[in-house]
Amino acid sequence: MLLDYDRLGWLKVALLGFTALVAAFLLLPVVFIVLLSFGSSRWLAFPPPGWTLKWYQELFADPSWIEAALTSARIATMTAILAVAIALLASFALVRGQFRGREILRGLLLTPMVLPVVVFAIAIYAFFLQLGLGGTTIGFVIAHTVLALPFAIIPIATALEGFDKSIEDAAIVCGASPLQAKLRITLPSIRIGIFSAAIFSFLASWDEVVVAIFMASPTLQTLPVKIWSSLRSDLTPVIAAASSLLVALTLGLMIVTALLRRKLQT
Amino acid sequence: MTQAFLSIRKLRKAFGAFTAVHDVTLDIPKGEFLTFLGPSGSGKSTTLYAIAGFQDPTSGDVLLQGKSLLSIPSHKRNIGMVFQRYTLFPHLSVAENVAFPLRVRRRPDGEVKRKVADMLALVRLENFAERLPAALSGGQQQRVALARALAYDPPILLMDEPLSALDKKLREEIQAEIRRIHRETGVTILYVTHDQEEALHLSDRIALFRSGRIAQIGTGEDLYLRPANEFVAGFIGNSNFLAVEHLETENGAAVVRLADGSIVKGVKAADKLDRGQKARLMVRPEAFHLTGVPGTASLAVEIVDAAFFGDRRRVVARTASGDEIDVRPTSDAADPDGADAGSSRQIFFDPAAAFLFPA
Repeated sequence: MLLDYDRLGWLKVALLGFTALVAAFLLLPVVFIVLLSFGSSRWLAFPPPGWTLKWYQELFADPSWIEAALTSARIATMTAILAVAIALLASFALVRGQFRGREILRGLLLTPMVLPVVVFAIAIYAFFLQLGLGGTTIGFVIAHTVLALPFAIIPIATALEGFDKSIEDAAIVCGASPLQAKLRITLPSIRIGIFSAAIFSFLASWDEVVVAIFMASPTLQTLPVKIWSSLRSDLTPVIAAASSLLVALTLGLMIVTALLRRKLQT
Repeated sequence: MTQAFLSIRKLRKAFGAFTAVHDVTLDIPKGEFLTFLGPSGSGKSTTLYAIAGFQDPTSGDVLLQGKSLLSIPSHKRNIGMVFQRYTLFPHLSVAENVAFPLRVRRRPDGEVKRKVADMLALVRLENFAERLPAALSGGQQQRVALARALAYDPPILLMDEPLSALDKKLREEIQAEIRRIHRETGVTILYVTHDQEEALHLSDRIALFRSGRIAQIGTGEDLYLRPANEFVAGFIGNSNFLAVEHLETENGAAVVRLADGSIVKGVKAADKLDRGQKARLMVRPEAFHLTGVPGTASLAVEIVDAAFFGDRRRVVARTASGDEIDVRPTSDAADPDGADAGSSRQIFFDPAAAFLFPA
């Protein structure tokens, strides 16, 4: 290999330096937020003059923050369940189906990933306003499911492609009905894909802010919307604390995913 | 005649304009080990899949003990099957794989436990019950697949090239296992393979497929010693085909003239041939001898290459018409003339061991 890492010589140092710079650029804002959430300055001064847990206490004492977090969790959970269910059915059609327009359907199902979110948000806002779904939990879940679908379909379809259909046929010859064979053999065999799909679609909803801003009503706000609107009214370190918790949960889910994948694969 | 156990009646399967199976008719008695042998694309697997229910035949019928299977969905046919690829359920232990067909049949726990133990003993994998399939070798996986396919005592066991993914040594080992299991269980087996040695080793009878039709069905001896046509003669074992001219039929045997002009009498012919018709004479490599005895035919050849292999010599010879033939005479007979490369000499064969086919 021309670009073998071991043979780069002095370029190795340059490459390491550049990589560290990029990583720092991406991570520093997050690190700052987390540090500020423990800082004692009310005006988010940096470096913090002292350390405190006050902002976390304030956060947990305020029912509107708790309410927003619970709303986010509820919507993300329902989104994950719905997206995985649809993605499962869609994946069987996309991987096993032999029909005209299959590739077009695949492209269509994956568009939410490439379409500018704000375009989608405006379109669905106008549409849901007419249906009376704006500001409702159902509306939130439907909108987020559309956005989460590509992240659910990709891992499930990939897992299903890697699963030999002869194994399902073997289950059928053994006496399982086609549905039984899918439920008892195929689904457990692609469980890594299903699990990844659930986590990714949960996260797609959990930290989604653009559609959520359009969907939110004064009584129904997700955590990202609450952070965003608080930011506009007053700049308080409580926002940093809420943001830190958001990051912590996301990070936690990613770590759990990585660990489970490793465990399931061996 | 007793009624056939499994009966395939004028089975036909067309994929659009391509007909994969042409009106195959076949009767299989209970307990037989029948192999579908043939090159890829000859229709042997398609026939097997029609019996399993994975492919609906275009026309024809499959009867098990007189009852048609075609209207019964795959999962209710109660047929056992071992696939070409490894099909163990990856998330279940070996024991749970074998138990699966019994669990979907809702058999009581005690019976399941007993049967799984019996089946694992049958394939000699008692100590592997708690392993996951990924921790088994390919040969072990196919043995578990065999145990799973037999766990519910199916009347027929279908095997679709189950050993093709294994290396030669392992293949021979498992062939012996399959023979033993067939003997011990008495199950009727339909086995698909493209490997003629495997077919000869395992089967009671072989159905040789060619282009969607059965070219010949019979024991290995039938196919080897009494081939019905040139395709069978060429597919099973090694064969030499000599260009000859058919002269006449005398006492039920043919008289032909070889390319070097010599006349050979007493040749068996598969079909009736006309006087003067061009034909091909099949002679097995081991039917040739270096020394002649009365009654044998002789052939003038030039030796191209010769080698000694202990029990046999392997000689490549060129006939007067320029065809290269494969000659494997036994090596114990005295060889007065020698068979050195470049020399010209006569070789001999018994006309009764030769077969005549239309060109």
